[in-house]
Amino acid sequence: MVRRLMLFLKKFVSSLSFKLSFYASLIMFVALLIFSYHSISAQEESLIKRMIRGAVKDSEVIKAAIWNGMMANDREVIRQILETVGKEDFIEEINVYDSSGRMHYTSRPRLSNTPTDFSANLSIKSQSGDASIQHWISDDKSFLQVVNPLVNSQSCSTAACHAHPESERILGFLEVKVRLGGLYEEIGKAGRRTITFAVALFILISTISGLAVIFLVNPGIRKLQARTARMARGEYKPRELRTGSDEMADLERAFDEMSRQINERTAQLEASRKMYKALFDEVPCYLTVVDRDYRIVRSNHAFAQTFGDLRGKHCFIAYKGLTSRCKKCPVEKTFADGWSHQSEEVWSLQGQKVYVMVKTSPILDERGYVAEVLEMSVDVTRLKQLQLELAKKEHDYRYLFENAPCYITVVDPAFNIVQTNKLFDRDFGACNGRKCYQVYKRRDQRCDDCPVEKTFADGGSHHSEELWRRDGEDTYVLVQTAPITDENGQVVLVMEMSTNITETKRLQGELVVLGETIAGMSHTIKNILCGLQGGVYVVDSGLVRGRDDRVRTGWQMVKNNVEKVSDLVQGILYASKERKPEHQVVDPATILEDVCSLYEARTRTEGIELIRAFQEELGLCSLDPAGIHSALSNLVSNALEACRKAEGPDARIITVVGRREGGSLIFQVIDNGAGMPREVKRKLFNKFFSTKGAKGTGLGLVITRKVVEEHRGTMRVESEPGKGTTFTIEIPITDTADENIMEAAV
Amino acid sequence: MAKKILVVDDEPDMVTYLSTVFEDNGYETISAADGEEALQRCKQDKPDLVSLDLLMPNKTGIKMYREMRKDDEIKDIPVIMVTGFGKDDVPSMDFKKWIHERSIKAPEAYIEKPVDKNVLMEAVRKAIG
Repeated sequence: MVRRLMLFLKKFVSSLSFKLSFYASLIMFVALLIFSYHSISAQEESLIKRMIRGAVKDSEVIKAAIWNGMMANDREVIRQILETVGKEDFIEEINVYDSSGRMHYTSRPRLSNTPTDFSANLSIKSQSGDASIQHWISDDKSFLQVVNPLVNSQSCSTAACHAHPESERILGFLEVKVRLGGLYEEIGKAGRRTITFAVALFILISTISGLAVIFLVNPGIRKLQARTARMARGEYKPRELRTGSDEMADLERAFDEMSRQINERTAQLEASRKMYKALFDEVPCYLTVVDRDYRIVRSNHAFAQTFGDLRGKHCFIAYKGLTSRCKKCPVEKTFADGWSHQSEEVWSLQGQKVYVMVKTSPILDERGYVAEVLEMSVDVTRLKQLQLELAKKEHDYRYLFENAPCYITVVDPAFNIVQTNKLFDRDFGACNGRKCYQVYKRRDQRCDDCPVEKTFADGGSHHSEELWRRDGEDTYVLVQTAPITDENGQVVLVMEMSTNITETKRLQGELVVLGETIAGMSHTIKNILCGLQGGVYVVDSGLVRGRDDRVRTGWQMVKNNVEKVSDLVQGILYASKERKPEHQVVDPATILEDVCSLYEARTRTEGIELIRAFQEELGLCSLDPAGIHSALSNLVSNALEACRKAEGPDARIITVVGRREGGSLIFQVIDNGAGMPREVKRKLFNKFFSTKGAKGTGLGLVITRKVVEEHRGTMRVESEPGKGTTFTIEIPITDTADENIMEAAV
Repeated sequence: MAKKILVVDDEPDMVTYLSTVFEDNGYETISAADGEEALQRCKQDKPDLVSLDLLMPNKTGIKMYREMRKDDEIKDIPVIMVTGFGKDDVPSMDFKKWIHERSIKAPEAYIEKPVDKNVLMEAVRKAIG
């Protein structure tokens, strides 16, 4: 109970209204106290002054009353006046002294006629030289003493008694003592009244102010208290308009304004909080907040939806399944320096590899310390996969580029080689920076009809067949160009892929030759077949009709063609088989002579001159006589045909040359016949190529060349249409051959 | 009077064979070894039909054929081409195509070597009866 009372008192004492009332009353009390003090002092002073003025006036009256008695020197009158006046209640005593201080008259009865020692009153004595009225209050404040000087006047000095000389200015003093007992009583009364008034005023004002506080201030304060509480709860709605002009209304207005601003700020704060919350949750990247213990404190929707609720787990466990912190941790760095950090991480979440780009930023507490770290992680898995794929593709393409079985060069618009592949480097060496035409063709200027130039011009792919010369060797290449464009589609470089088609070209040539060979051979066979068929028919016809001439003609046809078949078959075998030459030690001159003899009859009948330009003996050599015979026969046969074909009236000559020159044996067959055009010269050594129609097998020169090659010799031909042809065979006579000679001789 | 056939071929065996076949079938034959000679014989002897080889020295059968077709005197004589080259052998020597492209009147028949005498005779009869 006492405790509750104490609590109530404590609350009351600490309440604003009490404090207000208390301090107002205290100030008022002090003010009233000062006021009362001043009021009482003023009243006292005023009463004393009135008393003094009365006493002075009385003394003047007494002085005037006794003046005649003194002038007449009538002592009795003076005494009677003094006695009469001295009987008044307020008069203590009235005394008259001479200038030396000796009392002459007094209102006190017993002291009458007895001189009074004036020195008894020091105050009068000290005043004896002064002509003004003096007054003072006795030390015990029981009476007021007024001393009125008796000044010498003309009447005194000229009076009959002539008791006082004219030089004596002050003749004596009238002393009136007035009782003060009533005065102080009055003063006390006035003081009491004033105090009573002050106390009454204090009580009244205290009461009024207390009531004012209770009825005018307290409700306002309580209202404000309640509103503040509502404001704190966010329930307060400020009123639009408030009337009143007192401080309370001002306060309320201020309060409303404050409340309005607070509400506004709160709304703004709430809106931005919602916005940031929405941002945090809806931002299309993973947001997590990690504390100093590396635990996930918060995560946004995107993170939670993808990886589930991982709050409370250590980030390194949650992200990567590790048992301790990552070695390079951006969160750790941010905690250490308060800056933002960035890193690429690979998370392993729910069994899937997630590549993320992590950026950290500090979350500061109110003291400015990094309390938490926000991790913003962007899923770059797809990007990373693409990067990896790109890297792999690039590697693959680089591998393809480097190891492609063709020359690849990349050329800039100035025809400088900027990149080459391995094969190119191997065959051409390092050529970067050099002009392509310098490298490929050993030229100083751009090639005409350049596919690279075309590709730079139209962005399309072009191709051409080019002949590259390098180290004296011709290389046929098929050049294919392809544009390399920049992001705007502009051709910035051109790639040249050059395939070495030298071998293909050769094979192509051989294929053409083969085709022609087969066609030629079938033609030859057809001709023979026709001959045979014709012969058989003619024989049959002769037999049926009993005509021997036909039988003979037909049979000759059959025999001729059978011989042709035999020659053809032998020729084919000779030309195609890897036949080992049968070497014998012979004199080449004998072979030459045999060949000339063989063709002599024919040349003679056709009016062609056959010249033997060789000595009768050329010395023994190791040769395949059959092969050499065959080779030379073919050449002479060709020369004969050339002479037959030749137009014009000139005499036709065939010269057969044979001689030894150094270590070689030289054979030549020279004619001045038709000569050969380039085309024919090109096909000269093709199998089954013949200019002789049905009469040739197309194998002659093929066999000739084969024989020459078997003897490790060379053969060359010079020919000009209309002028003639020269075939030259050169066969080396080696030491080995000499050994063979010895062997043969033994 | 028997009809006259000019056999043109540079190969004597072929001339003998074709002449024998024609004679056995009741035709009279004359022969020429090249195109030049063939043109002369045409103008001179006015054969009823020409059996013409394509590849010959001096003047080829093709050349002779073109000139013959331009010559009003002999242009209407029927011609049977006898050739050793089929178009499958050497495409560049496709004579039929060559003729067709130049809008020259085509020969009455083409016979490829080796010659089947029945096919040949059928072509002859179809041309001149």
